[in-house]
Amino acid sequence: VRARDLAEPFPIVDLDTDAFDAARQMAERRSPGLVVGDEDGKPYTVLPGSQVLNFLIPEYIQKDTRLARALSEKASDELCHRLTTMTVRDMVPRPQDADDLPVVDGDATAIEMAAVMARVRSPLVAVVEDGRVQGVVTVSRLLDHLLDPHSSKTS
Amino acid sequence: MTVVVVVVFVGAYILIATERIHRVAAALGGAAAMVVLGVVDAQVAFFSEETGVDWNVIFLLVGMMIIVSVLKQTGVFEFVAIWAAKRSRGRPFTVMVLLVVITAVASALLDNVTTVLLIAPVTLLVCDRLNVPPVPFLLAEVMASNIGGTATLIGDPPNIIIASRADLSFNDFLVNLAPIVVVEMIVFIGLCRVLFRSAFHYDEQRVAEVMELDEKEMVRDRGLLLRSGLVMLGVFAGFVGHSALHIEPSLVALLGAGVLVAVSDLEPEEFLEEVEWPTLVFFIGLFIMVGALVEVGIIESLGEVVTDAVGDQYFLAASVLLWGSALLSGIVDNIPYVATVAPLVQDLVATGDGAPQARALWWALALGADLGGNATAVGASANVVIIGIAARNGHPISFWTFTKYGLVVAFTTVLLAWPYLWLRYYAFA
Repeated sequence: VRARDLAEPFPIVDLDTDAFDAARQMAERRSPGLVVGDEDGKPYTVLPGSQVLNFLIPEYIQKDTRLARALSEKASDELCHRLTTMTVRDMVPRPQDADDLPVVDGDATAIEMAAVMARVRSPLVAVVEDGRVQGVVTVSRLLDHLLDPHSSKTS
Repeated sequence: MTVVVVVVFVGAYILIATERIHRVAAALGGAAAMVVLGVVDAQVAFFSEETGVDWNVIFLLVGMMIIVSVLKQTGVFEFVAIWAAKRSRGRPFTVMVLLVVITAVASALLDNVTTVLLIAPVTLLVCDRLNVPPVPFLLAEVMASNIGGTATLIGDPPNIIIASRADLSFNDFLVNLAPIVVVEMIVFIGLCRVLFRSAFHYDEQRVAEVMELDEKEMVRDRGLLLRSGLVMLGVFAGFVGHSALHIEPSLVALLGAGVLVAVSDLEPEEFLEEVEWPTLVFFIGLFIMVGALVEVGIIESLGEVVTDAVGDQYFLAASVLLWGSALLSGIVDNIPYVATVAPLVQDLVATGDGAPQARALWWALALGADLGGNATAVGASANVVIIGIAARNGHPISFWTFTKYGLVVAFTTVLLAWPYLWLRYYAFA
């Protein structure tokens, strides 16, 4: 099977998308991440859900998780409210090298996609043909295929 | 050979001060060079009380680091800090005062770096809830940690080196340094009111946010907290009584660490979490380098020159030591400075035949080196740690921002220590 066969339609957010809307999309689609496109609609990076959480939760709470227990529901809501004043640009990591983008072409095999995901630690890969994103393959869809005893992994 | 040893020593020192290479590598490289030069052998490096590694210092540090690792698991620091913020009813200055006092006391009983590592996250939490800028609070805490650590033998690494070299007890430090540290802290709190006045914005609505924090959630294992508390009481009783019991502070710390580990049921990676191996190796390298200077007779020659120059003008020597140590500790880390100067001060004190005026030179060295650490961002290890935590949480503190406040605090505290030394050890002695 090839990447284009596994690719599913997926919304692309841009760098100026409201951070709260982007996180909301991720939650509604039960998606592990979002593809972030640049001005030309080409993939700029992938915003994994863990990066959104990393942005939401201050470093001092990540380091000392015991402190999270002291926070009330109201305080937790306030932490999430920070997203409404931000854009996707504020959350994404620094622009990466082209090699570090979780992008494959339509002919990529399942193992090729797995290798890219593992290398850049991304929960999804964007499938690009003719400079346009045709869809994405999530880690769960890829594993579903890889672990299926009846599927062919490399072709 | 003497010239070569000095060149190696100064070269390693420059590398440590400028941080061109990691300070541990510089100290170990310097120590290795002394061995290659044939100045240091196993006897000189490991077994001589005059020139060898000071194992009392190393094992006191190891013991205290293990104790801190276990205490950290109890959540007691977070509990106390949130409790204090709620007791202050969210008034920013009162919050700062309580956190500063907690930090100073904890630093006197444990070590500075660990104390600020434990208190900084909860400070950021409280400041977030109060919607006040955290930088003034973090600065006040790290400076309080350097002042508070001055009060005891175990509070600051330079004090541990001084105690071992001068054969001073825990109580000697408590009796001679704690009184002035209490005064310093009162003045420091007044300084905080002025220096950080713009940070004390009171918002009644935000107070409710602090009052909603639940400090009880911080303590997950009450049994461990209770057992640790009891062991710590025993450890401090051991420190206070170590002279009478004829047991070194290092053994008290190691015994305390051993008992804590036995009663805590923690895994090795947990009770060794706070053991800073690079710091311990750095100390070992430093001791071997300084031991080489002693071995070739440089320290003795310098000691004779200084002793001749000082004569019986001990207050002048104390003044130079106090201000000079403060100045140098602001520029380089105070640990290598004290490790190098301590043998010289030992020679100087020895000429006084146990007179209190001569022994007071040790207190001048401790006060200058410990309080001078506040002067700049690189003056003490705790400063570097707090700047790192602030930056990672989106509150960068520049070198000059730190130094702007640090110079005022260091100058004021050293200025206060000066008449204290004079009044206590010279004017009425």
